[in-house]
Amino acid sequence: MSDPSKQPEALNPDTDAYAHESELETHLQTKRMYINMGPSHPAMHGTVRMKVELDGETIVKADPEIGFLHRGFQKSCENVTWTQCLPYTDRLNYNSAMMNNFGFLNAVEKLIGLEIPERAQYIRVIASELHRMHDHLTCVGATALELGGFAPFLYAIEGRELLMDRVTELTGARLTTSYGRVGGLNRDLPEGWIPKTIKSLDKIQDLMVEVKGLLMANRIFVDRMKGTGLLSAEDAIDFGFTGPCLRAAGVDYDVRKAKPYWVYGQLDFDVPVGEHGDNYDRYIMRLEELEQSDRIIRQALQKLPGGPIIVDDWRIALPPKPEVYGTIEGVMSHFKLVMEGIPVPPGEVYDSTEAANGELGWYLVSDGRGRPYKVHVRAPGFPILSAIPQIIEGKMLADLIPTFDMINMIGGEVEQ
Amino acid sequence: MSENDTKKPTGDAQPPPPGAPTNSPAAKIGPEPSNPPAGAKADNPPVAHSSTTPPKPPAPAGGPPKPPPPKNPGFVTCTIDGREAVVKPGTNMIAAADSVGVEIPYYCYHPRLSIAANCRICLIEASNAPKLVPACQTPLAEGQVIKTTTPKVKEQQRAVMEFLLLNHPVDCAICDQAGECKLQDYYMKYDYRPSRLEGGKVLKHKRKVLGPQVVLDQERCILCTRCVRFMNEVPQEPQLGVFGRGSHERIDVFPGSELSSNYSLNTVDICPVGALLNRDFRFRARAWFLSATPSVCTGCSRGCNIYTDWMSQDTYRYRPRENEEINKSWMCDQGRLSYKYLNLNRVLSASVGRRATQPPNVVRPEITRAEAAKAAASQLQPLAGTTQLAVLASPLLSNEDLLAGLSFAKGTLGVKEVYVGGRPQGAADHYLMTEDKNPNRKGLELIAKGLGLTLKAFEELTPALKSGKVKALVALGTEVPGDAEAFAQAAASTEVFVALAINESPLSAQATVLLPASAHVEDDGSFVQKDGIVQRFRKAYPSKGDTAPTWRWVAEISKVMGGAAAWSSAREVFRELAAQVPELASFHWEQATPPDRERPGINPLPTGADGRPPGYREFGTPRVRGI
Repeated sequence: MSDPSKQPEALNPDTDAYAHESELETHLQTKRMYINMGPSHPAMHGTVRMKVELDGETIVKADPEIGFLHRGFQKSCENVTWTQCLPYTDRLNYNSAMMNNFGFLNAVEKLIGLEIPERAQYIRVIASELHRMHDHLTCVGATALELGGFAPFLYAIEGRELLMDRVTELTGARLTTSYGRVGGLNRDLPEGWIPKTIKSLDKIQDLMVEVKGLLMANRIFVDRMKGTGLLSAEDAIDFGFTGPCLRAAGVDYDVRKAKPYWVYGQLDFDVPVGEHGDNYDRYIMRLEELEQSDRIIRQALQKLPGGPIIVDDWRIALPPKPEVYGTIEGVMSHFKLVMEGIPVPPGEVYDSTEAANGELGWYLVSDGRGRPYKVHVRAPGFPILSAIPQIIEGKMLADLIPTFDMINMIGGEVEQ
Repeated sequence: MSENDTKKPTGDAQPPPPGAPTNSPAAKIGPEPSNPPAGAKADNPPVAHSSTTPPKPPAPAGGPPKPPPPKNPGFVTCTIDGREAVVKPGTNMIAAADSVGVEIPYYCYHPRLSIAANCRICLIEASNAPKLVPACQTPLAEGQVIKTTTPKVKEQQRAVMEFLLLNHPVDCAICDQAGECKLQDYYMKYDYRPSRLEGGKVLKHKRKVLGPQVVLDQERCILCTRCVRFMNEVPQEPQLGVFGRGSHERIDVFPGSELSSNYSLNTVDICPVGALLNRDFRFRARAWFLSATPSVCTGCSRGCNIYTDWMSQDTYRYRPRENEEINKSWMCDQGRLSYKYLNLNRVLSASVGRRATQPPNVVRPEITRAEAAKAAASQLQPLAGTTQLAVLASPLLSNEDLLAGLSFAKGTLGVKEVYVGGRPQGAADHYLMTEDKNPNRKGLELIAKGLGLTLKAFEELTPALKSGKVKALVALGTEVPGDAEAFAQAAASTEVFVALAINESPLSAQATVLLPASAHVEDDGSFVQKDGIVQRFRKAYPSKGDTAPTWRWVAEISKVMGGAAAWSSAREVFRELAAQVPELASFHWEQATPPDRERPGINPLPTGADGRPPGYREFGTPRVRGI
């Protein structure tokens, strides 16, 4: 800078200031705004916190922060027997607890090299699809609610309650089912459960007509869903998407078809695939899957064979109670299974099943001691949640709500 | 049991107790068999017989093939489940298989007892035998191929398990052995099938009291005869026998006698099932709730290696821990039951003022450990360095406690002689138990010598107290070898009596300052057993109540009196002070520490139902206990 005392006239601001072209238009002076969505926010499922940086209504940066529901699930499993892990798995995706139960059990059974009885496989399929419907109904209903439609929410929840009642009759619990055991199931279908379930499915079909009627022709709903939350198929694969969110982007991948487990290979059902990868397609995927699950359940109930529901191997399944109370063989097996756990042979395994939101994977390591040496769960919601910044940055704040809803992130499984 | 089977006793042989029946079977000195096999005669023609017949031609070809030359000279090389094992000649198959990591199940076999081969669960396939052979009894041959997992072997194991469980009562829920029972373990491994029994089980005596320590449930017994062989061979007091036949066969004592041996509780250890039960431990704790810590028995100066089985802050039992030099796999009953002083009648809080002179129900003010140490220091301070002050040390204390205590006595208190207290002498027996009932007399002697202190007999202390020559007494441990009551009377005349006590006694009631001391299981440390072997023991659980290790009390008192003792662990005490004692200086404290778990990391319990801090089952299921 030159010395101001030497050239005082040259710096007269009134006469010498130069106005740039860009300064001719007066802007509203705004600063970026940082807001917290959550951890306690009605649209933030569970307790997740979203740190959002806003420029006006545009999201500049979104940073999902998880951990409020962290329970140390994987480490806890190392301190309990294989069977005692089961109640922990209930708490992963608490909207479809039985799918977690069965996914875990399936992995343990694969590690043992165990084929479970056919009837148990059918019941596992039926119960899984019930909970898939349960999960999708919750997702669809909650989305409608958060986009301002209260009536469809009530219809969806009415259908969900019917399923919840069937699940309660089947497992004894509404939420934390802990259903199934290594080698099969701990209890059979209750009496009269099949006709009740079919009637419930009929009722849900009627309810879904109402829900669709209220939403699909609703301008507000459709406008907020269509074209928002876009993610291309390549990006979805790169992020590790699975389940409805991946299929909405046009990738035909479903573990039930790609690697059929239990009796899925014997059942006739379709896998819906979208094309745009936006929220509306994700929503359609869920509606379609509701119908496919309905088909699967009806078929499975039709074909349901008789026979045992758990393997007859006293190293794996608890002996029947009369044997426990009456014979030394039974009491010994019971004692060892309860106190020391199932002697799963040493080794490691990865196994996955198609849960409501995608591929639920289990990596298990056993050292042969009755307790898991290591449990790792691949929660389908975790990679999907990690794509949120990519999807939403540069979009409007209002788009965050349907996107977050349709991603259907479940705190229990993401935060473990 | 044929004579061939009774090889073994490896250095366990003890001279039999006077009056005990001898155990040499008549067959040993009996006549030769009158009809030896024909081949034996043909192979060994009598040399003295002058015969005109020409010498026999060499054996025709086609006889049994000659054994192959050893692959490793001096050793036997064989293949066990595809793994090559190189073992010393005469090694049985169980030991050989174990050396290459193959597990062969067994009930009746015990490496320190003779071979009975009666449980039949160790039968395995050997390449040179058409039938299954018992692995415990069969020595390995060169080039033999052994298979332990073939269908034939598995079916045999299953059949044996089914047979053993046929008449076994449905007792797991009330059985002390549950959780460490070989029947349970092997059932899950080798049988895991439902019962096929129709009809009732054979009923036998359910609670036959065999002796002062042991009770027998004959229904649970699988007649492996480990207990009978143990009593015959190790303490050589044959008090048990097998009676009856077939399904009614049972273990019992001989009529009119009882299982009174001082080693009777070892039969409970080696019993693979819950038939023989420890009357002291019976129904007191479930095995899977106990934690085990390697320790040393304090019952006598032998220093048997043990596991302390504990829960919360109580010791429930001692079990022998293997040590080839000292106790092999055994320990005496008296030592085993000596744990009780750790739990009962403990001094749990410090107190100032003679309790013996106070009314019995007076509520004494609670004082902190620091206040108690200060009170002790202020009482001792004026007498330090004078001949009126005497120190009594107990050979029950660990080396660390004694190193700290005697250094304090010499340096801060200025004494030159130390009186030796400790438990009174008792009876010795013919095997492990010694007369000296103190675990660390040798250690006390070595440390006193190393520090340049003179040890004086306890008997000289009473007259010194009575005559008034000694007016102040510091007791490191209140166990006394003589008449405790009389000594307590003598101690009543002292002006200052600072006592560090584990248990309440007439003597501890006379203390002007009573300080609660930890027992050995409550701290790390070491003992020197009577032959001079230094042994480390581990801390099992935190000190009860206000108790603290003796070295810590000493450090606190010494600090108040101007000393520089600043140890924070027994290890530090040893590191700082052991150099003065040549015998201890070469002892590597850390390396000698026995491992406190089966493998690195935590081995968590299946349940933590008793609310103790995160526990672990350090040694897995103690399923091979006693071995």
